[in-house]
Amino acid sequence: MAWNEPGNQGKDPWGNRGGKDQGPPDLDEVFRKFTSRFGGGGNGGGSGNLSKMGVALVLVGAVIVWGLSGLYKVEEAERGVVLQFGQYHDLVGPGLKWKPTFVQTVYPINIQRVNRLNASGVMLTQDENVVTVQMEVQYRIEDPRKYLFSVTNPDQSLSEALDSALRYVVGHTTMDNILTVGREQVRSDTWAELDGIIEPYDMGIRVVDVAFKEARPPEEVKPAFDDAIAAQEDEERYVQEATAYTRQVEPQARGRAERMLREASAYKERVVLEAEGEVARFTSLLPQYEAAPEVTRERLYLETMEQVYSSTSKVMVDNKEGGSMFYLPLDKIIQGQSQNTQMAPAQQQSAPNRSVRTDTTNDRAGRSTTRQGRN
Amino acid sequence: MNPRNLIILLVIAMVGFLSIFVVEEGERAIVKRFGVIQTDAAGDYRIYEPGLNIKLPLFDNVETMNARILTLDAPADRFVTSEQKDLMVDSYVKWRIVDFGQFFLATQGNQLMAESLLQSKINNGLRSEFGTRTIREIVSGSRDELQREALRSTRSDASELGIEVVDVRVKQINLPREVSEYIYDRMRAQREAVARAHRSEGQEKAEVIRAGADATATVIVAEAERESRTLKGAGDAAAAKIYADAYGQNPEFYSLLRSLDAYRAAFSNKEDVLVLSPDSEFFQYMNSKTR
Repeated sequence: MAWNEPGNQGKDPWGNRGGKDQGPPDLDEVFRKFTSRFGGGGNGGGSGNLSKMGVALVLVGAVIVWGLSGLYKVEEAERGVVLQFGQYHDLVGPGLKWKPTFVQTVYPINIQRVNRLNASGVMLTQDENVVTVQMEVQYRIEDPRKYLFSVTNPDQSLSEALDSALRYVVGHTTMDNILTVGREQVRSDTWAELDGIIEPYDMGIRVVDVAFKEARPPEEVKPAFDDAIAAQEDEERYVQEATAYTRQVEPQARGRAERMLREASAYKERVVLEAEGEVARFTSLLPQYEAAPEVTRERLYLETMEQVYSSTSKVMVDNKEGGSMFYLPLDKIIQGQSQNTQMAPAQQQSAPNRSVRTDTTNDRAGRSTTRQGRN
Repeated sequence: MNPRNLIILLVIAMVGFLSIFVVEEGERAIVKRFGVIQTDAAGDYRIYEPGLNIKLPLFDNVETMNARILTLDAPADRFVTSEQKDLMVDSYVKWRIVDFGQFFLATQGNQLMAESLLQSKINNGLRSEFGTRTIREIVSGSRDELQREALRSTRSDASELGIEVVDVRVKQINLPREVSEYIYDRMRAQREAVARAHRSEGQEKAEVIRAGADATATVIVAEAERESRTLKGAGDAAAAKIYADAYGQNPEFYSLLRSLDAYRAAFSNKEDVLVLSPDSEFFQYMNSKTR
């Protein structure tokens, strides 16, 4: 309330000594009355007037100081709670204001500022697990009078209410929900619970927002939680690896199948062609044979035997004169044969330090002779 | 005369000053005259509201008391649950003085004394409530109910003190170190189970996928095998038909040719030693003289 508002004239700091005011100006008048009533005229004289003047000056000065001390300022965001003799009197808006000092007291309260409060700690969940939760509440003072006078330390009360509300809500939520999908639910439940708790306190505080800052498992079990998350990744990885395996195995199998099919059709063509080739000789020889069976047979026989005998070792035995005692060193003959045909290996054989290799060479020689024989 | 007037004036001012008192907003006062609490016309204790009030100077004593809601926040205390587990419970009580005369009589207006009296009563109430509940019930079941019960049980006691308990709230329930270790162990075990489940499920899925791939591959190969055998068989059949068609024209000649081929193939090596008798047909002309 401004000092110059109507109905407040008595508090005008500059002059206005009339009326039934009980302020210092009247005291001055009373003082004068007193001095006249007690008949102080006799000894008073000039010195009395002088002291009266001094007293009046001091009093006027005091009034000015008192008046100036009543000026105060209420900021834009603030409201001033005015108490008159301790009793709630008025709520004043922003601007330059005046109050009669000693009569009125003003408490400026910021009603625009959004204050923050944090609640955090280790809490038990519904499934008897433990989580570390941090929640922030933002609030504004809505009613400065209630804020000041209905509760001692309203901010502390709000903080306690938040602690209680948060733990209550966490205690009614499972850990998985708090940590993952249920965060919004926890936030809104906490807000509702908090409003419910502070409502009977009537503190003049309005909760503007409740923010879920963090929720995590306690440090002591963090490695286990991390491992569970890693396990999810592992699960995904195993599937990916198996898919990769599929991508590898199936094309390989298709390739192998294709190869088998190609080989089979090649085989088919080969056997048919071989058969045709083999048959071709027969069918071309057959007319000749049918024309002259005896000669052709004889010729073929002799050609074959010629070839056979010329490419093999042979011993002719006239059995009729030999009798039963007849020694034929077949093994020597065979050895001689192979030494004759393979001179180079035979020479190497004489070197004693290469005896092992000689054997293999011999083997190879044997095989090569075999091949020769077939040709 | 002036100083005398001044003194009289000062005395009047002092008397006036001493006979008024201010009760602040958020407070109430009672007045004791020679130790007796002043009553109003109805015989109740007279409560002085905020504002400017009048009393007899020197004889009257003003006792102001807080009329706001007060907080009793005691340090955390140890409670035992029905399953004999310890809990550290931190609670707070919101209370206010409703009967200022009664309150003054019971506590001499001393807030701290009132709080300590209240504290023990609240704790008794809470203790009996906690003692009938398990940790689970306390934490997640009936905390609301628990608070209401504690509130109800203290209300009658509180009225003796001239106060009203507005609210009893459990602020924190903490587990003692040894209990929380058990909980941590259990949580770790649970997480391990989850982790194992994830890994095993991953392996299961992977195994299914691999098996599917292997099966597909096996089927592909087997089908190819069937196809290839069919093809080979068809080839063999075609070849056999060719042979049969050709050789069927003259089996005897075939027999001759094939035998000769076989001889050639059988005796083609120098290491094959033939022991011959000159009686053989091949040598018929060698022995022509004897013939």
